[in-house]
Amino acid sequence: MIMTGQHISAKPGALKNMAALALDVGLFISEFRLCDTIAEYLADLLAQSHEDPARCANFSSLLINEIIELAFRSAIPVGRIDFNLLRNEALVRASVAFSYDRNNRAAWSSFDRSADSSGQHPAHHLMMLAQAIGVSLDIEIDGDDRVTLIADFLPREAVR
Amino acid sequence: MSRQTSSFSAEFNEINQEIVLSGRMRPRSVQEIASVINMVRRSLAESGSTAYVNVKRLTHMNMTAFRCLAEVLKSACEQKPQRMIVVVTSSVIAWSAPLFQTLASTQPNLSVEIYDSAFYPGQTFVEDESFIPILRTQTKMTWRHEREILPRHGLRDGLTIADICCGIGDFATLIKRQFNPTRLVALDHSKKSLEYARRVAAEFGLNSIEYTYGDASQMLLADNQFDFVTCRHSLQIFDRPDVLLRELYRICKPGGRVYITNEKNSHCLGEPHSETIRWTYEQVAKLFSHFDMDVEMGPKSRRLLNDAGFDAIKVESFMVTNLDGDPQDFADVIEAWETVYAGQMAVRRGDTPDFIRRFRQGFKDHVLAALHPKGYAGWPIWAASGRKPY
Ligand SMILES: C[S@@+](CC[C@H](N)C(=O)[O-])C[C@H]1O[C@@H](n2cnc3c(N)ncnc32)[C@H](O)[C@@H]1O
Repeated sequence: MIMTGQHISAKPGALKNMAALALDVGLFISEFRLCDTIAEYLADLLAQSHEDPARCANFSSLLINEIIELAFRSAIPVGRIDFNLLRNEALVRASVAFSYDRNNRAAWSSFDRSADSSGQHPAHHLMMLAQAIGVSLDIEIDGDDRVTLIADFLPREAVR
Repeated sequence: MSRQTSSFSAEFNEINQEIVLSGRMRPRSVQEIASVINMVRRSLAESGSTAYVNVKRLTHMNMTAFRCLAEVLKSACEQKPQRMIVVVTSSVIAWSAPLFQTLASTQPNLSVEIYDSAFYPGQTFVEDESFIPILRTQTKMTWRHEREILPRHGLRDGLTIADICCGIGDFATLIKRQFNPTRLVALDHSKKSLEYARRVAAEFGLNSIEYTYGDASQMLLADNQFDFVTCRHSLQIFDRPDVLLRELYRICKPGGRVYITNEKNSHCLGEPHSETIRWTYEQVAKLFSHFDMDVEMGPKSRRLLNDAGFDAIKVESFMVTNLDGDPQDFADVIEAWETVYAGQMAVRRGDTPDFIRRFRQGFKDHVLAALHPKGYAGWPIWAASGRKPY
């Protein structure tokens, strides 16, 4: 596990690194329990400066765990999986990046924020969950068949 | 940190028509939870005109579990359109109501309620704002004793500490200043008390106390986290102290200690007027027991800790008296007790005006004993702790 926490930018409002964790994907997908362990770990860090850390961590871990479970089911055992937490004054961003099977490229690329109702997208249930609990979720795909799942938490609003 | 991804329980209470799901439900596959899901399905099939699915203590869940449960609930709704299914959630778990609400919007006979009372029978009295001044003065009086007692139970500088059922947080503030813990979490289920606690801590410039809104019988805190866990004057107000102790045990580190204080109200005493005082406090014990609370718990601490699996148990008792500090503090506490016990609880029980008059008299005599230049008034407390075995 690699842990870093350096600031990447001093621009006001810009996101600063809180934590970064990289794992060998083969190791990650060898043990389902790691999903829960990593989700709890990241959620605890994310909630650290919240007025009520325990409840905020519990709330965030629901979605973070789901993102990580999706990665567990979708990642191919090549290279590494990256977990990142970034923050600015308004929000905390959690992201998970991994490589998926290129046979699924069409499905992953079909993400359409405005009208995803097909249920075909690999992140369909994840998006439903994010919507239900009011957290914004984004998906970025790059040319190397690597996907980044990004959740932006506004903890102060979600957990009172 | 050791937390199991799936350690949950499911029970069906036929009398209340209630299915209770609790714990952590993060299975890898549906097969892992098949028995629970079948049990939910069977229970719903047997249920009458309204069925309750209580998820107040379901602290963690993944979509594998949720979708499976959602399917069962949906098909149960469709099979019996006349029957209502009520999903009961807690406001402690911030995702719970919004997530289950997604089901309610598709099923006319399914609704979601956020239901926080009835953790235990006397909750409405204890979470009332009028309790704040009582708690404040009580802690001021007990602290004189407890600051000496706590080190004998293993409290020292630099530990990780949790104060469960922290009330208005003044004990946590005192601990913070006296014992300088490396981490201090203080949990309660009264938002008003916590607001007050945060304000007081901020006034003292103590910003590292983690106040958290939670249910002591199913906490969101991980296992084996704390060197020292305190729960003061609170086990006695739960009808199931064993459930609470199990949680205190769970969050305590092996080798750490859980420290509890409880009263034996019928042993409150005073001179002069010892007889009327004694009668009134015997009635206090009966009144609380009417609401399923045991304010006679103090001397039972040893057994309770033992039954909960602790070892190296220590028990001591101390008497808070009118001579400890300002006698007016003692008198204020008793007057506050009178207001809540005679003014609210006895009225709720339906006691007669005659009874209430006599009941009040003992408190008045206790105040008199406290303030009398030759008087003596006492309130006995049991402090006990046990070690979680390695
Ligand atoms: C008698 S007071 C004791 C408060 C404090 N420990 C003291 O000594 O001043 C009991 C406390 O338990 C809290 N409480 C009741 N039910 C609770 C629950 N289910 N979870 C957490 N706290 C609870 C109440 O809000 C109240 O503050």
